[in-house]
This record gives sequence, structure tokens and C-alpha cells, in this order.
Amino acid sequence: MQMLLSLPFTVGKKALKIWAGIGDFGRYCLSIALSFKSLRYLRFRSLYVIVINQTRFTGIDALNFVVLIALIIGATVIIQATTNLPKFGTEGFIGNLLVIIVARELGPLITALIVISRSGSAIAAEISTQKQNQEILSMEIMGIDTRLYIVFPRILASILSIFSLIMIFDLTAFIGGYVIARSTVYIAPEAFLQTLVDAFSLKDLLATLIKSIIYGTLVPLICCYYGFKASSKFEVPIFVSRAVIRTLFTIIVVNVVISILFYF
Amino acid sequence: MKQISKNELRVGLFILIPAGLLFLFIMFKLGYSIAGSTKDIYLKIDSITSVKEGTQIMVKGYPIGRVVDIEPVYKPALHFLATLRINNEIELYENCSAVIQNQNIIGDPIIELRNPDKKGALLREHDVIEGFEYVNLEAILQDVHMLLTNLTGTVDVVKQIALESRHNVRTLLADLSASVATVNRVLEDSQKDILAILGSFRVTAKTMSEIADELKKHPIKFLTQGKKD
Repeated sequence: MQMLLSLPFTVGKKALKIWAGIGDFGRYCLSIALSFKSLRYLRFRSLYVIVINQTRFTGIDALNFVVLIALIIGATVIIQATTNLPKFGTEGFIGNLLVIIVARELGPLITALIVISRSGSAIAAEISTQKQNQEILSMEIMGIDTRLYIVFPRILASILSIFSLIMIFDLTAFIGGYVIARSTVYIAPEAFLQTLVDAFSLKDLLATLIKSIIYGTLVPLICCYYGFKASSKFEVPIFVSRAVIRTLFTIIVVNVVISILFYF
Repeated sequence: MKQISKNELRVGLFILIPAGLLFLFIMFKLGYSIAGSTKDIYLKIDSITSVKEGTQIMVKGYPIGRVVDIEPVYKPALHFLATLRINNEIELYENCSAVIQNQNIIGDPIIELRNPDKKGALLREHDVIEGFEYVNLEAILQDVHMLLTNLTGTVDVVKQIALESRHNVRTLLADLSASVATVNRVLEDSQKDILAILGSFRVTAKTMSEIADELKKHPIKFLTQGKKD
């Protein structure tokens, strides 16, 4: 009975906490937007080096993993398609299926998940550690706008990396899909390519670009937010875990919203 | 510094290669080509009796290219994909039709591409169109030969029917003569009887007249006596 009576308080407390969290995140985003006015005080070279290193870590170092996953996903889709589509008399739509499943949805989503699990967690852990080691404080004492210096290059690098990784993921999934399809049923390469090109519209391309920009912005933004939150070295794993989970949740919700906006 | 340069190169390639592919794809989707002044399209055909490598491709009688390759496709049923290398400057549309026909009675076959009335998207490199109509000299000769064979068969049947009919007409005429003779004989035989019957009719009429007169003169007597005096 007491538990039932305390339920509204618990729910209300939780809702207020979420609302306060959203407000805090909003203020954090606003502070990053406002920090652009101090961009002229930063040396381009320092930002450039961070972008290059972050892109190498987020994009190039994740390439092997992304290619492997893309091959497996493409092959899985084709195996399922070649075994199940003939039952419905629609085996000619293998290319369309690849585009719909891989290029529209799985490509951007899986790429974002890989980036979150590799780079998102790394960004949160790196910033938390820097904060514990007083590095961020030292930068602030030196007059460096840490929000701009830490977050902005990571957003830029993340956008570039996610865009390239999605393109490579789609291409590899198509090639993997074709190789598997060729081993089970003969499809002329030109016909397969033609089906893919026909099925892949400019709208799909625009959706992919928008997804890469939004994911590329959200992943470092949320991970840096939680990285800045840790106030002791014991909180580092807590906030890293929180950063990964909340970024994953946000990305999945955003993916659904973009799909609804584009394809409904 | 050397490490940074290597990173820069790798990152540059990592970004530029997908961006380049994306750019090429967009250009391709918009109908542009950087391959040159020609483009290859595929023609799906059931038979290769007329089309061969080098067959000319025309639009409104104007040559725009040639067939450069023909490959069989075994599934789902045997058919062929002819590669048509055509001039890139000619505007053709996706739903255009390809007619395989002869230029004249002894000329080589050509592929005539016809744009549709309702224009859709532009025909792009590696698009597939279907040769929906198939007209060649050999096919025409085959059709004419088949027609003549059918005609000969029909004439034979008519001739046979005519022969059989002649015999039937003769039999019919003979039967008709016999029937007329029978009718004449019946009429001859019945002439005497007819005279007797007519005489009998006359006597009967006379009797009936007498009865009528008697009935008129003495109706009561006629009715009560019931017989004539």
C-alpha cells in the first residue's frame, strides 16, 4: 500500500530528473554554440590535428570491423532473400531488398552503433580522465575554450567518419551480397548493379547524408557531455556506461524519426 | 611530423574515396556520364537469328550505333542480352522500344529504337530494354510459305468436295426423274376413279337438292314421317 502511494512521487521525481537532465543538456549545447565566437582565438592547426587524429581513430581504425560486419550483413540478407523470396515469386527483388534493408536502415544504424561502442565510449573515458587529471582545468586557466577545443573537432571528425563508414558499409554489403547471391543463383553483374542503382534513389542518398550528419553530431555531443560530468575517478566508468547507453537510445530513436519523415 | 603526414594521407583517402563514389553515383543518377561519347545499353532478345555483332542501331533511320556483344543468359529461360553501343548525344528514354527489322527485302536486319509518346526518365548506361517486336526476312518467308501451304490444302479440299458433289447431284437427278414418273403413273391410274367420284358427287348433290325441296314444301310431314314417300 505504501509502495502504491509512493509510486506517483517516484514517477514525478524521475520525470523531473529527466526534465532537468534535458535542460542541462540543452544548456550544454547552447554553451557549445556560443563558444564558436571564441573560434578566432584558437589556432587552426591545433583543431586540424585533433580532427585528423579523431577521424583516424573513429573511421580508419574501425574500417576492418565495419567491412567485416557489412559483408556478414549483406550475405545474411541475400541468403534469407534467395531462400525465402522464391516462395512468394519475388526473387527478382533481391537488389531492392538490399537497398531497403542495408542502405536505408541497417547501414547507418550499425555504423553508428560501431562508432558509439568504439569511439563514443573512448571519447567519454578520455574526457573524464582529462578532467580527473586537471588537464581541462589547466586549459581553462590558459584561456582555451575547452568546449570548443574538445567537442567541436570531435563532432567534425565524427561526421566525416560516419559518412565515409556508411558509404563503405553499403558498398561492401552490396559486394558481399552479390558474391553470395552469385554462389546460389545466377544474376548478371550488370543486371544486379542496374537493380541496385534503380532501387537506390536520391531520396535514400539524402536520408543517408542527413543520418550521417545527425549521428556524427549526436555521438560526440552526448559522449562529451557525460565525459564532462564525472567529478571523481570512481565515476568515470559510470558516466562512460551512461554515455554509451544514452547515445545508443538516442540514435535508435532518431533513426526511427528520420525513417518516418522520409518514407511515410 | 612524418606520422601526422601519413595520418593526413590516410584520412584524406578515407574521406575522398567515398565522397568521390557518392559524387559519381549522383552524376550517374542524374543521367550524366564521364565515360565518353557513347554508352552501352542492353537489349533483351529471345532469339539471335537476326541480331549479330555489328548489327546497326538506328533512330528514325539515322544510325546511332552498333551491337558490340551478345551473351546468353540461361536463367530463368534461355534468352540473350545484346550490348548496344550507342551515341550518347541522342536522347532516348527508359521506356523506349526496340524493333528488329529488315531495312529492305534483301537488306541486313537493323535495330530501330523508338522513343515513347509519353517520355519518362532518360535511358542510362547499362539500362535494359526489350526487343518486343521481331520482324525479319526469314520470318516473313516462313510465314508466306505457311500461308501457301494452307492455301494449297484448302484448294485440295474444295476440289474433293466438288468431285463428291457431282456424283451426288447425278444421283439426286436420277431419283428426281423416278419420282416424277411415279407421280405421273399415279395420276394416270387415278383419272378413271376421279371421273367416277365426280359422278357420285353429282348424284349426291342431286339427292341433297331433292331433300331440300321436300323439306321446304312439307316440313312437318318430313319430320314426323321420317322418310320420303
